[in-house]
Amino acid sequence: MKRFSVAHPLLVIGALVIALLPFQMSGYHTGLGAHVAIFFIAILGLNILTGYTGQISIGHGAFMAIGGYTTAVMSHYHHTNLILTLPLAFAIAFCFGVLVGIPALRFSGVYLALATFALAVSVPQFTLKFSSFLGGSNGLQTSTTKSNAWIYGVSWSCAAILYLVAWLVLRGRTGRAFRAIRDSEVAAAASGVTLPIYKTLAFGISAAFAGVAGSLFVIATNGFAQPNEFAVFLSLTLLIGAAVAGLGSLWGILVGAVFVALLPTVSADVPLIGSSHGQDVVFGLIVIVIMLLLPTGFAGLLYRLRSLPGIRTPVEKEAGG
Amino acid sequence: MEAVRRLNYRERRANRIGTGVSPAVVIALVAAAIFLLVGSLLSPIFAQQTVAGLAQGAVFASLALALVLIYRATEVINFAQGEMAMATTYFAYQLTLWHVSYWWAFFLTLIIAFFFGAIVQVAIIRPVQRSVIAVVIVTVGMFVLIDGLVTWKWGADLKFMPAPFGNTVYHVGSVAFARQDIGTLVVTIISVVLLWVLFKFTKLGLAMRAAALRPASAALVGVRVNRMLAIGWGLAAVLGAVAGLMTEPTVFLQPTMMQAVLLYAFAAAVLGGLESPAGAVIGGLALGVFLNLVGQYVGFATSELRLPIAFAVLLIVLLVKPHGLFGSKQVRRV
Amino acid sequence: MGMKGRVLAVFAGVIVIAAVAVTAAFGAHKADPGVTSSSILIGGTFPLTGVASLYKTIPGAEAAYFAYVNDHGGVNGRKITFDIKDDAYDPSKTVPLTQQLVEQDKVFAVFGSLGTAPNLATWSYLNQKKVPQVLIATGDSYWGFSAKKYPWTIGWQPDYPGEGKIYGKYIAANQPNAKIGVLYQNDAYGKNYYAGLRVGLGAKKSQIVSAQSYDVTQTSLAQQILALKAAGADTFVIFATPSPTITALVTATKVGWAPTATYVNNVSANRVFMQLAASNGASLNGVVSTSYLVSPTYAPQANTVGVKLAKAIIGQYAPALLPSLNGGDANVVYGLGAAWTMVYALQHAGKTPTRAGLMKALKTLNVKDPFTYPGIKVQTSAKDNFPIEQEIMIKWTGNGAAGDWAPFGKLYSGVR
Repeated sequence: MKRFSVAHPLLVIGALVIALLPFQMSGYHTGLGAHVAIFFIAILGLNILTGYTGQISIGHGAFMAIGGYTTAVMSHYHHTNLILTLPLAFAIAFCFGVLVGIPALRFSGVYLALATFALAVSVPQFTLKFSSFLGGSNGLQTSTTKSNAWIYGVSWSCAAILYLVAWLVLRGRTGRAFRAIRDSEVAAAASGVTLPIYKTLAFGISAAFAGVAGSLFVIATNGFAQPNEFAVFLSLTLLIGAAVAGLGSLWGILVGAVFVALLPTVSADVPLIGSSHGQDVVFGLIVIVIMLLLPTGFAGLLYRLRSLPGIRTPVEKEAGG
Repeated sequence: MEAVRRLNYRERRANRIGTGVSPAVVIALVAAAIFLLVGSLLSPIFAQQTVAGLAQGAVFASLALALVLIYRATEVINFAQGEMAMATTYFAYQLTLWHVSYWWAFFLTLIIAFFFGAIVQVAIIRPVQRSVIAVVIVTVGMFVLIDGLVTWKWGADLKFMPAPFGNTVYHVGSVAFARQDIGTLVVTIISVVLLWVLFKFTKLGLAMRAAALRPASAALVGVRVNRMLAIGWGLAAVLGAVAGLMTEPTVFLQPTMMQAVLLYAFAAAVLGGLESPAGAVIGGLALGVFLNLVGQYVGFATSELRLPIAFAVLLIVLLVKPHGLFGSKQVRRV
Repeated sequence: MGMKGRVLAVFAGVIVIAAVAVTAAFGAHKADPGVTSSSILIGGTFPLTGVASLYKTIPGAEAAYFAYVNDHGGVNGRKITFDIKDDAYDPSKTVPLTQQLVEQDKVFAVFGSLGTAPNLATWSYLNQKKVPQVLIATGDSYWGFSAKKYPWTIGWQPDYPGEGKIYGKYIAANQPNAKIGVLYQNDAYGKNYYAGLRVGLGAKKSQIVSAQSYDVTQTSLAQQILALKAAGADTFVIFATPSPTITALVTATKVGWAPTATYVNNVSANRVFMQLAASNGASLNGVVSTSYLVSPTYAPQANTVGVKLAKAIIGQYAPALLPSLNGGDANVVYGLGAAWTMVYALQHAGKTPTRAGLMKALKTLNVKDPFTYPGIKVQTSAKDNFPIEQEIMIKWTGNGAAGDWAPFGKLYSGVR
């Protein structure tokens, strides 16, 4: 990511706002705020993969499912503390990400997109196949449920921690390797970047982030894990969020997360076409319009704004291009 | 147009310009065909499952053709292909509600579908076509938008359309052949042949291929690249409309009708090679037969695993032949 | 006033303020949320979009019934406001929407939410908050058996295992030598039906020659149906949602299989679905199902209170649903029936309805809902948390698409 000062004023204000919001909001709105954090984490992970190494994934919903079901299974069968299931989901999703990343080395571009799409479609089917263990279509319930305020706090704390992790990973050698791969695989290999290791690592890390997001997602769904929650559309939603976010901006990812977490709720009350379909129509229209107007996402918009004279934005120039 | 025999595939393939036809693949396919024939003669249930698999596969193939055409003509994967096909099918339904006879409605729908596809390309795809991700997202947006609009206009309940080929069932021995399934297969094969003729023998087809592969050079020799891309989408929308109308008798008219088919069509298209129409058809048929036979004879392969198995097969084939059975690596000069 | 007086005055003032505050606090708790002197607010989550959206006629019919009631005096003078939320059958949406209903909109009760998984996702939350989760539209039996653990939750329709049991009992009694082939959806819906069938068959469950599951993502059911045919089944039992049921009926004919008897589950037995199947070539000879609602198309029932009321209410308050009703769409009747039960319970929930009163009314029901089949009552008690358990057998009679369901035989009971 970028070299900006962690103590930057806007960031501090933002953190304060986020920390204080739940005291002003009802439980329901706090729940929505938690969903923003959850999508923030998932999009952050996807950004590392797609934005930084150029590997397209339309399957991150599958990694969310893996993390989510890890939490559900551990809590349901072993009554594991919900917080402890989070690093476990991180680790397990990381392993799956690496497992997927290895054959993914053979695919590129649209084939990789389709391969990850295949993953997104297939993973929910496995919950049906092993329904006695994974609950099948009647889902799997954790042994404890938490209040929305708890979920909000934990989700945003995870978001902050994982953002720091991402920042640390991306500013170092790994980040430079990632960017080199995205810009030109041939050049990167020629400069000594071991492609397979870094590309697989990117998959693993982004999957791990999605796994944590998935855990929190299940906890936020009253601890109930069910295949319909991880349908193909979830993966597509994450990709949309990443595109709206654009590359390389914290605020972009936040905007992307807010967009995908809140737009469906907001557009549910569109009177124009009728409540139910208004949601679909509005969501589809807005996604299309945003892509047409802002192909580089919100980050691109900030970049352009910054280049206007006299306007200072918190986003520093993305190091290394 | 002469009657089509299935074994003619091989001959047609050999004549095509596609350089992706490797002898190994051809031999494997011929061996598979022989295996199917022998099995069918020996066991009636094997024969029935094969026939049913071909029928199902023809449905996958018809939508896969549209996907392949779009990819070949514009290098884009269209996630909204199924929904566009569904929307055009609903349009045909509306025509039948206005007392237009089925086949008139069919051909009118094809014409409307062409313009629908072209307009979508111009208005929505063209502005973002430089970025693969942006195109994917825009097509996803279209998926949701079209679904919402169709459900708003016609509702989500199951609707009835007259079956294009009627409901008769023929019996050969203990194996039943439904007229509808034969019709779908014939229509799909006609589509492939027409596409082949287009790309191999017509100037338009050549211009379309040039516009897709070398847009800059093509423009230099006078090809109106943008127009070719729009035409490509228009034709793909026509194929999609055909696919929707052929699929309707099996899944009936509802907004979600093409969603499952799209998944299998993706698998079939990639399996056959994203740039090969014949590959899409063969991929679709092979997939249909494979799924049925595996479901019948492999105990572990229960219904939950049908979709994962389809994709697993696809991924394994891709590992061995990264561009599909009939695809070829396009060398891009940077 | 002297110093002492001033202190006393202040003291008195404090007491008065405290008393007012305390009374206000207690007074505020007197009425349950969602109830005012002129209205009652209820809400539910339904799949208005997405894969299950063909059930959206149910909330439409329920809203029509509430509108009718509002025009005829309401519930003891209070008008019902029905808040319909769309969760697209996705539990991750059901949970926030239900929280919105409870915490933001402050509904009196959650009514009629549709789907087993969506209701499972919210039942611990609603029971914790002591919010009624009533007359939910799902045929699972969890709600019936969990009255002690989740006292605020109750279903309405006969449960799927019970219905499966009825088919089992009927086949065992009437087709003693049947070779049974079962096609069931590979999720809890289909599996529960299948389990019920086996219980109902008793010793005769060994006559199930083949049981094939299918996945909702399949585009063709030929592979499974061919397997049933190859196993020699002569009785075809279909435990599927509407679209696959139609496909199954059509495919059976298309592969040249002619079972002597076919059993279709109630949810998929809508007249419209059968007509669709027949128009696509299915033979509907000997197709049997069950029902617990009045039929708007079966001539002998045309003059029952329920049918006349249904036509009047839908005609006036939801005319868009009238063609469906006249075509035999049982989901419309379902909505009216469930809404009727809700209004009845609200009327008996206390002069000022309370949540506890509502639950008490729902657990001591013994009444004939006009929209249920003649003779079928809505009954609950301390030991029986299943409002409707009885069903009547129905057989498809008449010529193909021009036919209709005709009830026959006696009432069967699904539980016990």
